[in-house]
Amino acid sequence: MNGALERRDFHEVLRQVKPEAERLITLYPEKRSALLPILHAFQNVEGWVSPEAMDTAGEMLDLPRSVVESTASFYSLFFRRPVGKYMLQPCRNLSCIINGAYETNAYLRGQLGVGHLETTEDGLFSYEEVECLAACDRAPCMQVNLEFVYDLTPQKIDEMLAAMRAGTYDVAPLPQTVKPARSWHVGPEPMGKSPGARDVPDPNDPGGLGDRTGVAMLERLARDPEPIRVRPTRERLVVDGDAILEAEAGEVERSEH
Amino acid sequence: MPVVKVLTAGIGEVDLRDIDVYRKRGGYEQWKRAVTEMEPSAILDMTMKSGLRGRGGAGFPTGRKWSFLPDNGRPRYLVCNSDEAEPGTFKDHMLLEETPHQVLEGLLIAAYSIGSNHAFIYIRGEFKRAYSIFLAAVEQARAAGFIGEKLFGTDRAVEVTVHRGAGAYICGEETALLNSLEGKRGEPRLKPPFPAVKGLYGEPTVVNNTETVASLPHLLKHGVEWFTAMGTEKSPGPKIVSVSGHVRKPGNYEVPLGTTLRELLELAGGPRNGRAIVAIQPGGGSSACLFAEHLDLAYDFETMAQNGTMLGSGAVVFFDDSTDFVKAAHALVRFYAHESCGQCTPCREGGHWLEITLERLIEGGGLESDIDMLLKVSNQLTGINLCPLGDSIEPFLASVVKRFEAQFRAYVSKPEAVSAR
Repeated sequence: MNGALERRDFHEVLRQVKPEAERLITLYPEKRSALLPILHAFQNVEGWVSPEAMDTAGEMLDLPRSVVESTASFYSLFFRRPVGKYMLQPCRNLSCIINGAYETNAYLRGQLGVGHLETTEDGLFSYEEVECLAACDRAPCMQVNLEFVYDLTPQKIDEMLAAMRAGTYDVAPLPQTVKPARSWHVGPEPMGKSPGARDVPDPNDPGGLGDRTGVAMLERLARDPEPIRVRPTRERLVVDGDAILEAEAGEVERSEH
Repeated sequence: MPVVKVLTAGIGEVDLRDIDVYRKRGGYEQWKRAVTEMEPSAILDMTMKSGLRGRGGAGFPTGRKWSFLPDNGRPRYLVCNSDEAEPGTFKDHMLLEETPHQVLEGLLIAAYSIGSNHAFIYIRGEFKRAYSIFLAAVEQARAAGFIGEKLFGTDRAVEVTVHRGAGAYICGEETALLNSLEGKRGEPRLKPPFPAVKGLYGEPTVVNNTETVASLPHLLKHGVEWFTAMGTEKSPGPKIVSVSGHVRKPGNYEVPLGTTLRELLELAGGPRNGRAIVAIQPGGGSSACLFAEHLDLAYDFETMAQNGTMLGSGAVVFFDDSTDFVKAAHALVRFYAHESCGQCTPCREGGHWLEITLERLIEGGGLESDIDMLLKVSNQLTGINLCPLGDSIEPFLASVVKRFEAQFRAYVSKPEAVSAR
């Protein structure tokens, strides 16, 4: 897990979210349907979807954590790492870019000093370029904590950021229970080795299986420069299949006699 | 000007979010009439005869969609698709925020006419405000006795669940939407079986677009003849068209289907700064471009199809002669690559390769052969995926590469690097 996570009181979060989660479950014929609403409920309180939140959702819905995490990871609005207090999501789709969104987005990034999927050092702003927000008549547009800001200009961006820094902006900041890291993007985790494989070299390391195969191939080529002919699938299946059947039939005959 | 005020009536004049205001204008009367005076089959019959076609993108006749439900005694579900995310489309966003009761009334009527007593509405995750507004509308309607048990003194009952997505364009595809509503990853299902046979929780289900259901109260109120008098024979009724791009007054315009693209352009204030419109994308991000010579075409399902494109969700983007179509194509391809659910290799890999090919072209490292490759790859990833997302990459890209090939070639010979975004 992310090293930036700190211990915090999850019981208080649970006290707030659990009754709501139980109510959400009753709205659906099958309780798994409440997964997205429950994750939303946790994110509304914590500002992100924490591992504890995913564990709790799994327990309530009889789902393994792996299923919860897999589902949460599908949706871009669930943040599985802490984010800034203001989630700035400008549009980068067609109607906005032909109306100057690349310029306003570059300006916004410049003012923040961060790039796509990054959070500022002070934990105040997160920046993510998003796809069409269904507000193309007021392009370029963006969302701040999912509230719309229309007709972006550098001046409007300056005023907006100043108000956010001063704490006077009219969209409430997201709750922040943990200091965010530079990025909330969750990539693949480095794969651990199973205990039995610890002393075995990786396939492509010198002496590994892949390496040995490669060496064997080179040695073979040195002995016999004729390249190995790979036969077409059909031929392999039909000819080899017949040969195998014949061989098996021969064995059966032999064993019968 | 061919503007009509049906679904958009009252927007911007009164606060239609207030149930009392909506009721004063005749709201929920059709819902009451449906439950107390009409058999579900009568509403199905009207919808069939009206020729109302789905407003979400495919344009499938709504009545026929309903008629596919098997009569097997299983519970049925109605799901309203409000996961509007097609690039350029912003009509459902407006309907949900401005006239939630109209959508709700249509949703209830649709549920009643297919014999469902549990309706769902799937609202796009980004529409947090619309979600709150719609939740409030449902509570107002419940308090007024329009949702729940014993409707209008009959033994009919209906329940409505408002569900919010969490950011995934693909959930607008109906089977992906159903998976998402079931609490799963929003990955499209293999079809058949179609949702009409096996949909939500494996039961017969109808998924209808927001604008489609919002049309139903008006159809019931004014009748089939009124409805078919508007529009063309195969595309009857009013349609909200989201006009954006290089026009002076972008916005939602409600017009009878069959209005010409030039009339739409004029409605939207015409081109800016005396520039000329060179291309039109008539049906959302997934549709092929039309060009200046097509401006006098009628905007309806069949004319668009005859001209190699589609009406889609009713999003018209106008491009003037200042447009960099390489960057425009890059933005749309990047969108599809980003939104691919990853199940089908052609869409997942093809979209990504097209994106990085275009990015390289823009950033100054493109090759002459890239232009043919764009056409070849986009063509080869079409028609072989579970859902239409992968197939949506080719139309715009291929149409602008063919038409504005010089712009693409100019990037190849441009040695200096330009940022792709």
